Amino acid sequence: MIVVKVNMAPLKHLEMENSIIDECFRDFCASHGILTVEDFLLHDLYELAAFAEREANADRLKEGITVMLSLIELQCRPWLNGMELLEDLQRNKHTLSSGDNGMNSLLQGGYGEGQLTELVGPSSSGKTQFCMRAAASVAEKQEGSVFYIDTGNSFSARRIAQFICGGSDAAALRKVHSQQFLSPSLGAVTDHQFLILLTRNVYVQRVLSRISCHTVYDIYTMFDTLQGLEVALRSQVQMNVNEYRLRLLVVDSISSTITPILGGSGSQGRALMVALGYMLKKLAHEHNIAVLVTNHTVGAGESGKTKPALGETWKSIPHVRLMLSRDNRNSNCTISILKHTSMPSGQTVRTITR
Amino acid sequence: METSRLPLSSSIRGKLISAGYTSLSSISSVSSTDLARDVKITESEAFEILKMANQISGSSSCNGRSSSLVNGARNAWDMLNEEEALPRITTSCSDLDKILGGGISCRDVTEIGGVPGIGKTQIGIQLSVNVQIPREFGGLGGKAIYIDTEGSFMVERALQIAQACVEDMEEYTGYMHKHFKASQVQMKPRDILENIFYFRVCSYTEQIALVNHLDKFISENKDVKVVIVDSITFHFRQDFDDLAQRTRVLSEMALKFMKLAKKFSLAVVLLNQVTTKYTEGSFQLALALGDSWSHSCTNRVILYWNGDERYAYIDKSPSLPSASASYTVTGRGLRNSSSSSKRVKMM
Repeated sequence: MIVVKVNMAPLKHLEMENSIIDECFRDFCASHGILTVEDFLLHDLYELAAFAEREANADRLKEGITVMLSLIELQCRPWLNGMELLEDLQRNKHTLSSGDNGMNSLLQGGYGEGQLTELVGPSSSGKTQFCMRAAASVAEKQEGSVFYIDTGNSFSARRIAQFICGGSDAAALRKVHSQQFLSPSLGAVTDHQFLILLTRNVYVQRVLSRISCHTVYDIYTMFDTLQGLEVALRSQVQMNVNEYRLRLLVVDSISSTITPILGGSGSQGRALMVALGYMLKKLAHEHNIAVLVTNHTVGAGESGKTKPALGETWKSIPHVRLMLSRDNRNSNCTISILKHTSMPSGQTVRTITR
Repeated sequence: METSRLPLSSSIRGKLISAGYTSLSSISSVSSTDLARDVKITESEAFEILKMANQISGSSSCNGRSSSLVNGARNAWDMLNEEEALPRITTSCSDLDKILGGGISCRDVTEIGGVPGIGKTQIGIQLSVNVQIPREFGGLGGKAIYIDTEGSFMVERALQIAQACVEDMEEYTGYMHKHFKASQVQMKPRDILENIFYFRVCSYTEQIALVNHLDKFISENKDVKVVIVDSITFHFRQDFDDLAQRTRVLSEMALKFMKLAKKFSLAVVLLNQVTTKYTEGSFQLALALGDSWSHSCTNRVILYWNGDERYAYIDKSPSLPSASASYTVTGRGLRNSSSSSKRVKMM
């Protein structure tokens, strides 16, 4: 279905597709101060119709008004009642396991499809590890494909392969051996040999081929990428889908693309940040994807406590916000809920990474 | 409002939106003369806007192939194979190489920070020499760019390290060919020094200008395999009144380094200073430039003193476990602290 983009443009642009909105109609509207579609919406339409009655070509003018209204209605989103929303939730929006038991127990299942989840934490607290763990879990267990947007060259295919095979080189080796029926009496294997074993494993290949990674370094490329994804998803719905459905979208990290444009004079940066947030939420809801983004923390000055970056405006955009922190030189990571749509904030869980 | 997503100057964007052009399709359906007249900009500017809008809407209307969701995204499986083949720059200290997974990896931004006198500049000089080790000895055979902001690069020291490197290579050929005596190697210390491009930067504007220029410079000198910045913090600590601007400028610079590393497959090494931070009721040493800068690197190595020994600790890495190793700085460069032999262990 081709969506007619009416938008708030000047009226004369509509003439190409709708010949009724001709010169006379536009002159009539101009005489009432209506030059764009936006003006048309703000004007009192009964008054306009009454004025149209008095003109010579009254019928044509009234027809023009009706056509305008029908074009505008095409832009309107369809109604949904509560029952339909609940059915949509139960049928389409499942929870995806995060790959980590502590996180799963905290979130009662995992990351929700249709929701934007944000991981906040100071540097090296494990945000990228959680992202990669989620990608590995979705690609392997949930049999879905993953779209990974990486802004800091921190995507490591080798680490994801380790997650698939159990979280450490030794476990991976065991799994690889058991699948290839090799004798497990191999001693210490060097990194190089391990990688060769991995690359020959068909199972790992199949799972890894469901994860596609895209590197993005500035916000405009990010918009282009997301828009391309949106178009591809929309066209894929019509195609016969033999491949795996996209279930997880990871943006690591969203703050490094937004921080260069935020602040300074003008609110352009904030507008772009909000537009990006809305685009991600729209993708999540319409295509039943779980979206995972990472954010960093900034020091709060005298009070000494760290708070998430990107400011107050961004606070309300994600559905779920989780704060990660790591004990000094320990492998314990604490996750606490800052904001959640259906659970109280403040709950924490301790999990052992690696 | 989709027009706000176009990369335009704010005055032109403001004029576009107030004239009613808020979505891309409204722009693409109009000719450039009409656009120039409505929005009160010049014809050439209107033409540029139209070109940009058509580019974006053109790319969104063509369908992606069924093999990848978006053109240009790469498969994790292909990336695994690429990661296996990725070359690494040895640091001449085998313990340090071991915890780094073989050395400093190309295509990554590595930040190395430590207290003064721990050997950051020594590591920088050692890396700029080691990147030139030819392929037959297990090195990369590339050139180095050394950006010096503090003036701590000493040419005599670089010559000393280069001479030691050549001597080690000669010894190694002896072992390889089973002569057990040193034979001549093509490379001379002078050649090594010739392949280090040295930039001296005296203010932060020069630093930003240089980073912007690096893209063009490296396209012309494709052999460059490592960019070392010593140190990245020096000019940003004193001059700045506006801290928010400093954060913006630094994150922009970090993204540019990331882009360079990815585009040309080279290693970027940023050396950083330490400062004292008051956290949790005590004063602690932390890397300079604040929390937002600490997210701008891929890997981070912290150097510290442990008694009398120098140690390196992997603080942040996507794929390596946290580990620490000790090293020493000798007359011949960076070496292992445990072994007393001066021979470098090469691949």
